[in-house]
Amino acid sequence: MRTKQEDLIRYKDGNLYCELADIWIDPSKPVKRALITHAHFDHFTFGCEEYLSTNETAILLKERVGDNIKIKTFDYGEEFKINGINISFHPSGHILGSSQIRFIFAEEKWLISGDFKLQKDETCKQYEIVKTDYLISECTFGLPIFKWDETNKIANDISKWITKSPEKTSLLFCYSLGKAQRLLNEIRKTNFKGNIYSHGSIYKMNNCYEELGINIKNTIKFENKKKLDELKGSLILLPPSLSKGSYLKNFKNIQTAFASGWMSIRALRKRSGYDKGFAISDHADWDGILEVVKKSEAKNVFFHHGDSEALSKYLVEKESINVLSLGK
Amino acid sequence: MSLKNFSELFGDLDSINSTNNKIEVLKRYFLSNEPIDNSWAIYLLTGKSNKRFISGRYLKNLFSQIYEYPQWIIDTCYLKVGDSAEVITLLLKTKTSSRNKKLSNISLNELLSKTIPELSKLNEDEKNLQIKNIWETLPEDNHLIFNKILTGTFRVGVSIGLVTKSISKLINIDEEIISHRLMGNFKPSIDSYEFLINKNINLEELNSKPFPFLLANNFEDKLFKHSINDFQFEWKYDGIRMQLIKRSGNVSLWTRGQELVNESFPELVNKISYIKDDFVLDGELLVWNFKEQIAFDFSFLQKRINRKSPTRSIQINYPIIFIAYDLLEINGRDIREIKLENRRIELEKNHSKWQNKTKNNITDIFRICDLIYPKDWSDALTFKEKSRENNTEGLMIKNKMSPYTSGRKKGIWWKYKVDPMQLDAVLIYAKGGSGRRAGLYTDYSFALWKDQELIKFASAYSGLTNIEIKELDKWIRKNTIEKFGPVRSLKPEMVFEISFEKIQISKRHKSGIAVRFPRITKWRKDKKVNDADSLKDAFELMKKIS
Repeated sequence: MRTKQEDLIRYKDGNLYCELADIWIDPSKPVKRALITHAHFDHFTFGCEEYLSTNETAILLKERVGDNIKIKTFDYGEEFKINGINISFHPSGHILGSSQIRFIFAEEKWLISGDFKLQKDETCKQYEIVKTDYLISECTFGLPIFKWDETNKIANDISKWITKSPEKTSLLFCYSLGKAQRLLNEIRKTNFKGNIYSHGSIYKMNNCYEELGINIKNTIKFENKKKLDELKGSLILLPPSLSKGSYLKNFKNIQTAFASGWMSIRALRKRSGYDKGFAISDHADWDGILEVVKKSEAKNVFFHHGDSEALSKYLVEKESINVLSLGK
Repeated sequence: MSLKNFSELFGDLDSINSTNNKIEVLKRYFLSNEPIDNSWAIYLLTGKSNKRFISGRYLKNLFSQIYEYPQWIIDTCYLKVGDSAEVITLLLKTKTSSRNKKLSNISLNELLSKTIPELSKLNEDEKNLQIKNIWETLPEDNHLIFNKILTGTFRVGVSIGLVTKSISKLINIDEEIISHRLMGNFKPSIDSYEFLINKNINLEELNSKPFPFLLANNFEDKLFKHSINDFQFEWKYDGIRMQLIKRSGNVSLWTRGQELVNESFPELVNKISYIKDDFVLDGELLVWNFKEQIAFDFSFLQKRINRKSPTRSIQINYPIIFIAYDLLEINGRDIREIKLENRRIELEKNHSKWQNKTKNNITDIFRICDLIYPKDWSDALTFKEKSRENNTEGLMIKNKMSPYTSGRKKGIWWKYKVDPMQLDAVLIYAKGGSGRRAGLYTDYSFALWKDQELIKFASAYSGLTNIEIKELDKWIRKNTIEKFGPVRSLKPEMVFEISFEKIQISKRHKSGIAVRFPRITKWRKDKKVNDADSLKDAFELMKKIS
């Protein structure tokens, strides 16, 4: 049972767990009841008896893993009760359907940020500021060297990168769910008017987005048998898993790029093996994390998913915010 | 033209791997920018300016001071990024609120001929204020270039050879001519750029051109069938292969990579200019140990290779020598078609004449290579094994009847190298790398057994592929016993084959031995820790060799 105030949500076997409600958040192993913040595979595992998520996350998940899962869905902001705890999902701006999860128990609020970003993204709901007493935040990019450029600047860089080499086929690698749709949406606003192809795994997600009312315009499903000359000067979006191995042998005269927040560091860019890196992320940058910590008005903050040492020290020293480690 | 174009060029060159594409990008840049900016670009890209105006540490302190930013967080960021100029560039992005709305579009020329040189004339306070001012008025895209030039760390994957090639393609003139024009004290100016792209070639430039180099093949067993007398045997020196050219009074020293390196070895150029005849020689440049009359290790030569205009003390501490092994042209007569045997006679005859007749003593800096005369092939193998004693890499075997052809033709020259020495050792420490290896554990220490204990015997950085480095990095993070600052001690589990060139007794090391040029040649995943070699094995290896 709950022993200390700080223990409503704690670590158990490396996952976030609320003992009082016997519920797990994005567990990495099969459990009875799992809250799912969003439909990326590193936040989902097979074999749970019951899943709880937003409607959009449920639809995306079923598209990815099949209908054979029991999943209960909720609207953003809709409160439900488990063992006397009020739980609700709130937009986190990471990808379509992604959410923060709030727990209210004995007039105390706990907020799990999930993966989040503050930057504007027309393919999902904008991050909602939720006030809380306890905040458990991700900190994937928890260093001040991470400061994202405006999305349209990156989109224009990508457009320029393609049009500068009209004799080549440009392969842009990115996560097939979320990042791909955001990029498709942004690149269509630039001066690049050539063909944009989406790999099957991405195309599947595009259709899902369409069904959920997000317009992913003008992309063609990429078929392997395409004549290579037709691909000259066009853009193909592919999942990163295809960048290694023999897949690239299907093409001739290509240039490759990777779209990820890590690409803001030159050494990582060089090491990535891609020709070019575009620093665009669906996670918050340093300023974004600080803003959320401050606006949430949390008195106690915990970090997970990332190296939080510098971020914690900074908040304690400069902002006098109480940063703690989660109980185990 | 603004600095922006150069920043873009830097970004392009940094993200292109293909040489041909880099050349295209450079050509496009030269065509679309002002001559004066082009000459500065060439100056930077060929590494002629790596003057450090302020240190990386100074830059970080200054940022911390101006923006009241904790030093420790900058240091933490540095560990991820591995370059002070880049860390500050990235951190400056968070300071947009203090940016001046009216940005200044300066040119590369202005930055390098005015803005930066003027910084050195200011006192510290003025200098700091001026740097802050530049940060806040310079468009964000140009910060990296500015910070890098300021800290003397501007480098991009472009060699002097690539720049030479681009200009050569741009105006359709041989690379050797461009190399010659780029030599010397290249001072950025409109004139120097115009001179570089001048389509008229003068006589002196033509005279400096080297011949294409003849390259050796690896030794083949089928040579054993031939008579030993068909071949000329020489030591294979581990130096820099060069053609030494003297034509109509001018000396030029060319590396195999088409680089003209007169400036790095002025003492040689000077002595050679006293010789009366004209000639083209093929040979090896070495740093020479005059006491023992053998070459110093390649590491000594490295102290000289990239250093232009070496100081007197460097010339004295790292004395060079040119050892000629072939004569290709004498007084305007191209003798490359003559067979090696006879070229050797010409070489010996002329060299002894130059020794006797040249006013200044040239013997200390210019010799011809000694020949070796093995009785038979097994005797040749014995010579080969001895090559370690005189710091050579093995033997060169040359067909006495062969002409001097170009490239790696079969049946002309062979190299027969001694095998490196090797031990299987256990990885015990790892340290983070810097630069493009930042954030990865890439500096390793290896140990050998002494009874039940593992004793460190060598550190190595090179030899693993990028994929192996990443894999090992992951393993290191999971198998750390303890952290001491940037160093981690590791569970003794991984065995590597370490190759090295020389092994000797050393009182300075706990292991009692020191090895030269240790490098990783194989990740022995097939071996367990107990299969690794011991110090005893190392001492036996040492005995066997001496």
